[in-house]
Amino acid sequence: MILGLLILAPILFSFVVFMTHLVTRNILVILFVIFLSVISVFNLISLSSVVEIALPHYFHNIFVFLDSVVLIFFLWQGIVKKHALVIALALVQIILYCEVLFLVPTLESSDILVDNIASIMYLIINIVGGIIIIYALKYVESENFSQIKKNGFIAILFLFLGVMNFIVSSNNIEIFFMLFELTTLFSYVLIAYRGNAISVENSLRALWMNQIGGVAILLALILSISHYDTLYFDILIHNRDNLFLLPIVFLILAAFVKAASIPFNKWLIGAMVAPTPVSAILHSATMVKIAPFLMLKLAPAMSGFVSISVTLIGTFVFFTASLLALNKDCFKEILGLSTIALLALMMALAAVGSEQAINATVVLIVFHAISKALLFLQAGILEKNFHLKYVDDIDGLINHSPLTVFFIIIGFASLTLPPFGAFIAKFMAIESIAQEILKNPLYIFALIFITLGSVFLTLLYFKVVTKLFAKNVDFQQEHTKLSNYYVIPSFLLLFLLIIGIYVTFKMELLSSIQIITPVILIAVVPFLFATLLFKKAHRVKEYNCGEKEEIKLGMYYFNVSPNYKKAISIVAIFGMLVLIVGVML
Amino acid sequence: MFNFKKYRKKSPWILHYNAGSCNGCDIEILAALSPKYDLERFGVINTGNPKQSDIFLVTGPVTFRSRERLVELYTQMPEPKVVIALGSCTCTGGVFRDMYNVEDGIDRYIPVDVYIPGCAASPELIIDGIVKALDILEQKTKKMEKPLKLFQDASTKDGIINKRDCALKVGEKDEEN
Amino acid sequence: MIEILLIILAPIIGGFIYGAERIVRARMQNRLGPPLLQPFYDMYKLMDKQAFIINSYHTILGIMHFVTLWVVVAFVIVGQNLLYIIFLHLLSSIFLILAGFSVKSIYSHIGANRELIAMIAYEPILIMLAVAFFMLNGSFEISAIRENSSALFSIPLLFLAFLLIVPIKLKKSPFDAIQAHQEIIGGVEVEFSGIFFEFLYMAKLLEYVFIYALVMLFAGDSFILALTLFLAVFFLVNLLDNSTARIRIDHLIKIVLVIGLTLATLNIIGLSYV
Repeated sequence: MILGLLILAPILFSFVVFMTHLVTRNILVILFVIFLSVISVFNLISLSSVVEIALPHYFHNIFVFLDSVVLIFFLWQGIVKKHALVIALALVQIILYCEVLFLVPTLESSDILVDNIASIMYLIINIVGGIIIIYALKYVESENFSQIKKNGFIAILFLFLGVMNFIVSSNNIEIFFMLFELTTLFSYVLIAYRGNAISVENSLRALWMNQIGGVAILLALILSISHYDTLYFDILIHNRDNLFLLPIVFLILAAFVKAASIPFNKWLIGAMVAPTPVSAILHSATMVKIAPFLMLKLAPAMSGFVSISVTLIGTFVFFTASLLALNKDCFKEILGLSTIALLALMMALAAVGSEQAINATVVLIVFHAISKALLFLQAGILEKNFHLKYVDDIDGLINHSPLTVFFIIIGFASLTLPPFGAFIAKFMAIESIAQEILKNPLYIFALIFITLGSVFLTLLYFKVVTKLFAKNVDFQQEHTKLSNYYVIPSFLLLFLLIIGIYVTFKMELLSSIQIITPVILIAVVPFLFATLLFKKAHRVKEYNCGEKEEIKLGMYYFNVSPNYKKAISIVAIFGMLVLIVGVML
Repeated sequence: MFNFKKYRKKSPWILHYNAGSCNGCDIEILAALSPKYDLERFGVINTGNPKQSDIFLVTGPVTFRSRERLVELYTQMPEPKVVIALGSCTCTGGVFRDMYNVEDGIDRYIPVDVYIPGCAASPELIIDGIVKALDILEQKTKKMEKPLKLFQDASTKDGIINKRDCALKVGEKDEEN
Repeated sequence: MIEILLIILAPIIGGFIYGAERIVRARMQNRLGPPLLQPFYDMYKLMDKQAFIINSYHTILGIMHFVTLWVVVAFVIVGQNLLYIIFLHLLSSIFLILAGFSVKSIYSHIGANRELIAMIAYEPILIMLAVAFFMLNGSFEISAIRENSSALFSIPLLFLAFLLIVPIKLKKSPFDAIQAHQEIIGGVEVEFSGIFFEFLYMAKLLEYVFIYALVMLFAGDSFILALTLFLAVFFLVNLLDNSTARIRIDHLIKIVLVIGLTLATLNIIGLSYV
């Protein structure tokens, strides 16, 4: 019942939103978001055991119909936009899909399976995604689209939520494939939303890269039907044959594509041309989170060779993506590459497979969603209110909008520092890897990649702070006023972060004093900023060797040469090939 | 009440500024810091940062270019502070006196507490001067000392005056509180 | 009880270490050197000075750096989780870095950025150290490490790697490009003055306590070995400080990462086979 609501209500909402006018639309959207959040929370509370539902057969026909429509749409887009790769991949997909339809597996299970992880995913998708939709209401007003297009934008975001709700509850690989393709379709449409040449080019790139993932899933389907005689995740994992893990490896490959890991990283970075709420929703709540979720689903099936190679690939991507991010100067691209890095870390942890590693993955998924949403909202504010895109231009932002700076710094801190969730996840990650090293020394490389990668991420985040935090000695101008539609979602996300800290108490990983201390240390800072002004102390100018010239601060970048970039891609592709070939042998 | 004043003497931190010196006195300062004379036994550190130093050690006859920096550095030093003019040029202008590009000693711009003569002043003299300066430092109050406004009527467009007045105004305002 | 006393007295212990260090360094250069209590004289003097500030954010973040570092030292003394302490120490560094960024001063910015970059060098080795202790003791708790026998002979290479990062944290030659007195005038601390500089000064003393407490962890439960290690590292670091020149920050990272990570990796691989 709740499940049906979670999946169908967003679809209904999207139609309603598409139809209504401006004022009613805003109120309705906020109500819908509250409704979805309440339902997802209620679902988590009321869920006592795993829910399994088998869908009636006529649903299957609808899914096949939808899938054919989507695939033909891809083919059509490829022909219209004259993109050979899209056409070729769409054709391959259609052929493989037809083959899948002809095969009839006998082992049956339930189509829908909701466990704890799925309920947590509902929370992220509906609450974080909902907050982003509220933010998008104001954002889309300042774009110069027609009214229908604006409504359509919000409607597609709602549809996206519905599909995501469905995808995390599906147990049937065929349904999973359909939803996977639907998310590809939505991201394609959303990236191309501005309609200029760059967006079309980047959307096509996103399309064909995601189609590779689709092909991988179809291959996995065919192999799974032919060898295991099933198209259900749970049977596949339960009956797995350690000599024939190829379907699982292809599913992992699809996850790597969806998570935009290194050889496929271009599409997520290209997605930055879309309006910021799209990036926010792609990076935090939806789309890319399919990848770690799929990994979590497959985690019990991974062991030995597959586990260690996926861990090594994942941690390698974590390390290199954070290294590559060091030479980016666009705020959104920096965030994008750090998303790629953290997603790779999540997948690597899921592949480690110990209980603690799985917990770390879930915690990282949740907190990454919140923090990234917060940061992308600020990126949108920077773009709309201050017309800033590059970190080099963010000069002394604190003079104009201390609130935005505060959110950005909190966002960065929540991805690196105690007591926030990402720190807890990193902590558990290191601990679980340390336990694995005792069994297999190869995990030492995973440890090196994780430590270096996380320190590079810290460097990256706080490097960005360089320019925005520098306050002038005597700056008297009024602060810029931000719209409530921008500020309130940010505060809501901040509130979620604080709730998250409360949740970490329950994990009993750290003692309460260990969590409370950093909370106090961080919470006291804004409080002191507001109260302690040191009116009595004498103000002087900064030391500048007695010179009087105005100081112009600059930003530094780490130059990663193209040769290195190529080498990194080659190593990553080689790692995946080793994975596939190793499993075949 | 714990008397902090006597500890001023025990940790004098030096800011050394070269206002156009011939480097002779600077070499002697380095000599005074070296193992043979060992100024550090008095707790002296050569900080190079006006905001953390107590003794302003100036060498050179103050060239046109350096006077603004001189005053700027002086105003950036927190009270109590002492100024030492090191070398003949710094005291009076020395051999550079009455030249077109030289201001004839620092005491036209900032109040000087200790004059150390010599061309170049020997390390023994420098140590002597610093020890003398420490006695003066102990007597000083935390009241803001002001740089002398000698060339106030020369030109108001000269940036230094505006800036220095600004610095003074900040100080005066705070004293009223 | 003795722990509480140690925590309260931590800055004073650091002050004595720093005072002794200045004497030792002076004697190595055939000088007399300042008295042992010199750091405290400096502190008294700073209390008496007029305080200049740039803006309140800068000052508050500097104070928070000191407070957090004190908490870190307290956790080390009490015997909490080592990995957690490393991350909490990161928090204190971040406060200092943010303080450096919060003013429009070139030296402060260069210092903060170097502090940030130096993090690349020491953070991985610290984490590897924690992992090695975990593999030996089955726990990250410092109290467990202190109860077991000395780990020095199981992780000698990691000890060498750790020795590489001691000069970075203590701002000693050859790895003192972060502070680089006379070049970037102390880096982050350039804009602090008077009583507010005192917090940074004491934070430096606490950093001494933190690093030497980590050195003593290698001794395990043996007090004599701990003392020997402390004295040995103390003399070694000061000898290096006196006899080497400062190297550039990028060289620092290359040297420490290449040598340190290699040593740490070899040692951990060795541990996993034993």
